[in-house]
Amino acid sequence: MNHALGISSYLIAAPMLALLAASLVPVMLKVFSGNREPHPFVTTAYGFIAVASALGLAITFLGGSKFGFHKALVSDGLALWASIIVLVSGAFSIFMMHDHVETQSKLFSEKVFLLLGSLIGMLIVVLSNDLIVTFLGIETMSLCLYVLIAMSRETVLSKEAAFKYFVLGSFASAIFLYGIALIYGTAGTTQFPGLMEQVGPLLESRNHLFLIGIIFVVLGFAFKVSVFPFHFWTPDVYQGAPTPVTAFMATAVKAATFVAILRLFQSTGYQHSVPLKEVISWLAALTMLVGNAAAIMQPNFKRMLAYSSVAHSGYLMVGVVAAGFGDSQGVASAAGIVVLFYLLAYSIMTLGSFAFVALLEKSVGQALQVDDVRGLGRTHPVLAGCMAIVLFSLAGVPPLLGFFGKFGLFSLAIEQNFYWLAIWGVLNSVVSVYYYLRPIVLMYMQGDDAPHVEMNKQIMTRFTLFGSAILIIVMGLFSSPILSALKSAILGRS
Amino acid sequence: MAQMPLLSLIVFMPLLFAALMALMPGNRGVRPMALVASLIQFGVSLLLFKYYDASTPALQLVEQHSWIPEFGISYFIGVDGISLWLILLTTFLLPIVVLGSWNAIEQKVKAFHVALFALQTAMLGSFVAMDLVLFYVFFELSLVPMYFIVGIWGGARRVYASMKFFIYTMAGSVLMLLAIIYLMFAARDTEGLGYFTANVLELYKLKLPFTADGLMSPQALLFFAFSAAFAIKVPMFPVHTWLPDAHVEAPTPGSVVLAGVMLKMGTYGFVRFVIPMFPEAAEHFGWVFLFLGAVGIVYGALVAMVQPDIKKLVAYSSVSHMGYVMLGIFAMNTYGMTGALYQMLNHGISTGALFLLVGMIYERTHSREIEKYGGLAKVLPIYTIIFFIVTLSSIAVPMTNGFVGEFLILLGSFQASKLIGAIAVTGVIFGAVYMLWMFKRVFFGEKGELVRDEKHPLHDLSVREIVVMAPLLVLIFWMGLLPNHFLKYSKSSIDHLMQNKDAYQLGVQTMGDAVNRSASVLPGTLLPETQEADSKVTAKANMTGAGVGR
Repeated sequence: MNHALGISSYLIAAPMLALLAASLVPVMLKVFSGNREPHPFVTTAYGFIAVASALGLAITFLGGSKFGFHKALVSDGLALWASIIVLVSGAFSIFMMHDHVETQSKLFSEKVFLLLGSLIGMLIVVLSNDLIVTFLGIETMSLCLYVLIAMSRETVLSKEAAFKYFVLGSFASAIFLYGIALIYGTAGTTQFPGLMEQVGPLLESRNHLFLIGIIFVVLGFAFKVSVFPFHFWTPDVYQGAPTPVTAFMATAVKAATFVAILRLFQSTGYQHSVPLKEVISWLAALTMLVGNAAAIMQPNFKRMLAYSSVAHSGYLMVGVVAAGFGDSQGVASAAGIVVLFYLLAYSIMTLGSFAFVALLEKSVGQALQVDDVRGLGRTHPVLAGCMAIVLFSLAGVPPLLGFFGKFGLFSLAIEQNFYWLAIWGVLNSVVSVYYYLRPIVLMYMQGDDAPHVEMNKQIMTRFTLFGSAILIIVMGLFSSPILSALKSAILGRS
Repeated sequence: MAQMPLLSLIVFMPLLFAALMALMPGNRGVRPMALVASLIQFGVSLLLFKYYDASTPALQLVEQHSWIPEFGISYFIGVDGISLWLILLTTFLLPIVVLGSWNAIEQKVKAFHVALFALQTAMLGSFVAMDLVLFYVFFELSLVPMYFIVGIWGGARRVYASMKFFIYTMAGSVLMLLAIIYLMFAARDTEGLGYFTANVLELYKLKLPFTADGLMSPQALLFFAFSAAFAIKVPMFPVHTWLPDAHVEAPTPGSVVLAGVMLKMGTYGFVRFVIPMFPEAAEHFGWVFLFLGAVGIVYGALVAMVQPDIKKLVAYSSVSHMGYVMLGIFAMNTYGMTGALYQMLNHGISTGALFLLVGMIYERTHSREIEKYGGLAKVLPIYTIIFFIVTLSSIAVPMTNGFVGEFLILLGSFQASKLIGAIAVTGVIFGAVYMLWMFKRVFFGEKGELVRDEKHPLHDLSVREIVVMAPLLVLIFWMGLLPNHFLKYSKSSIDHLMQNKDAYQLGVQTMGDAVNRSASVLPGTLLPETQEADSKVTAKANMTGAGVGR
């Protein structure tokens, strides 16, 4: 066996290496200039260059089903597009961090370093071809996030959030690792391709240890993407973390982890386990319900968005169910396409909505209430208009991007005969209309006497919100090029 | 052959005008511009008569482009005898609404007209869309501007009403979306079609399994999924409860558009999609809709009778009138269907006119309570005459448009079921009762407190208001006396639908074909061979995301 690593391994790892190299620059600058914080704009620029170069390298070298590092990493369409989503989310989060009062501090360069480190972890997760490597990636990603959440100017909530996330996250990691151990013990491998071949026979022979291992691994993932009943940390942490960090967590973490989940469910062998199918379907169904039902009752804007992100995890789980328990070969690839498209849509919408929160938060104070947007349609028409587009898209109104994301997911569910999940999903999206329209009601239909709220400049955050609103319309109306690019990347043909 | 995208122009011109208006600085000059714009789009829509060929049921002025082939969605629009008049009704009402709302809308004038014109595009789009997903997009999109119109410019409980409207309608239509997706997969898995498509003409060819006793057969379930969406939109008893709320809270122009056009999107959906795509289920479960239609007629009339609020009375009369349309559609014969189509137009005109009239008096007194009026006839003679004519049209007196529609529907429903016909006829009587009783209380007798009020004397209709009402009055008599002027354009389409309802198919004509009559396609001819083959190849090459990799 040849132990030397070929150049192709390093090409696959190039985006991560670029991120690593570039992320050190601001911190090093600080060290060598006698612990003087460089200008935030310089740090932001470095961060942006790091992400942009990683993105360029990812687009150049990823894709086409190559393996690297003795099959520890795989570079395919799934990895390519997930990397794009993750890196773009990261870039916008850095922009928002530059603007936001809670992240501007003497430690700004450290924060950018941590965010880039977290991005490296995410790239490891999406490129991983081995459960152990996935675990390493998730830990890298999470450790950076724990610190990032805690490093806020705000003292109480963010510390509580970081601690809560850390304790629960460590617990979830332990379960995850235990699951990997059980899987390795029964299947004899932790690499996805080999594992996928083992799933069918092992589940058919009712190997309970293996089943428990799979369930533990799924639970570990479920925690990261806040799937019911592991979502309880989500509102607290999303609320406590600085808003740009929340946006980063809600988009990039979710995108990376869902790709890992898809890799785990790339086998038709799961059909042999009816209980597993039931469990995962119910997780999807209950996640939608809990997220939407809880969001209705939230007066706090960030908590509302947190629960809405729980609900979106539920929709995404429908794709996972179809991938794992569909009845045909190739359904996993199809699921990859629709799930990634949904993640793309979801990330754009979520970045926009948190940018909106970040813009208002600064002027209104710590906890932005939904009621605070009263009368915004009159005082800040452009801002309110953009947010209205984002909210309509989150609610799934055609022809916006969110609608086509849901269209893809529910099409897949119907094709694979998961009718009840599809029906449940669309009914839930009707429920969600209620809370997504509430800010619109307040912005446009009430508060004609509301005072004019001054907002600080926050150019980059504004840019994020406008950009997401425009992308929602344009990519909604012209989603065909994106879908065909996704398709050719994932199916490996043009 | 000159290929002008006339239909696209008609559909998207209002959106273009909306964008132009949005770019205008300030609110001044918006109204005249909106009026001119609405007249232009009505004028352009009249061009349809030039290019429309009434002799064939084929789908005409067809435009077809690929939109999102990965999801099997295409931009496919066309017009036939079923949609022609609805398009014209929509474009006809817009200038009237703009002129009618001249004084009714005082705040955010620009935003209001932008919403109104955007709504116009959504409504027109849903009447011409021949791709189910495209239809769904327009159908849902129409909720957004209407939501804002009710919610921003509405009355005291506007937020509640607009929210109820939005959620009610969306709840109905999401199940239709799933049914659409199911149909698309059914098309893919069917021999002969074999690709993922939402093209309505292709979906007509599907033979969906139906078992007479089985509520659970696919066709029956799809039928109910579609019907639920459209029944809420119509709205049909017992899912009509959003309508009175929305109407009462909506500003006058909103009510006119809502009653005049938006409700027709529901009945149009039944004629265009439900009956031809699920013929057996429609035949088998049609009695449910006949029955609910008849109940709706009587119920709407009885509830209207006791309303203290004129606008609410008109709103409930809508429930009753739309019950007639449903009755006509599910009578499943030519009389009924013709009457239903005609009644859709009648309802748009006479109920639209009623809402406008109610709005006019409301602008003067800021009250809609019937009790507070009385003796208006002595004070406002012109208003009274116009109101009387519209009332007659609404209760379907011979020589007015309402009579033709209701008579045809009753003929059709007696053919379908004597009992239902008998129930429906009592509705005619109740209709006369509530309208005439209301008329009597408002216009005759003792002068009510608002009419007596010396400090605020009432002025009769201004020239603007008469100009608003005049075209409606002309149409009331024109459609009442010379129905054939209108029906001849729809005849071949209706006949074709009724004769072939078990195996309904439509041919297509592009604009070139229609001008050059000699090249016109025979009824029922399918897509020309080459075109069909082409579209199949592209669609196959671009299989859905969900269906890839097999």
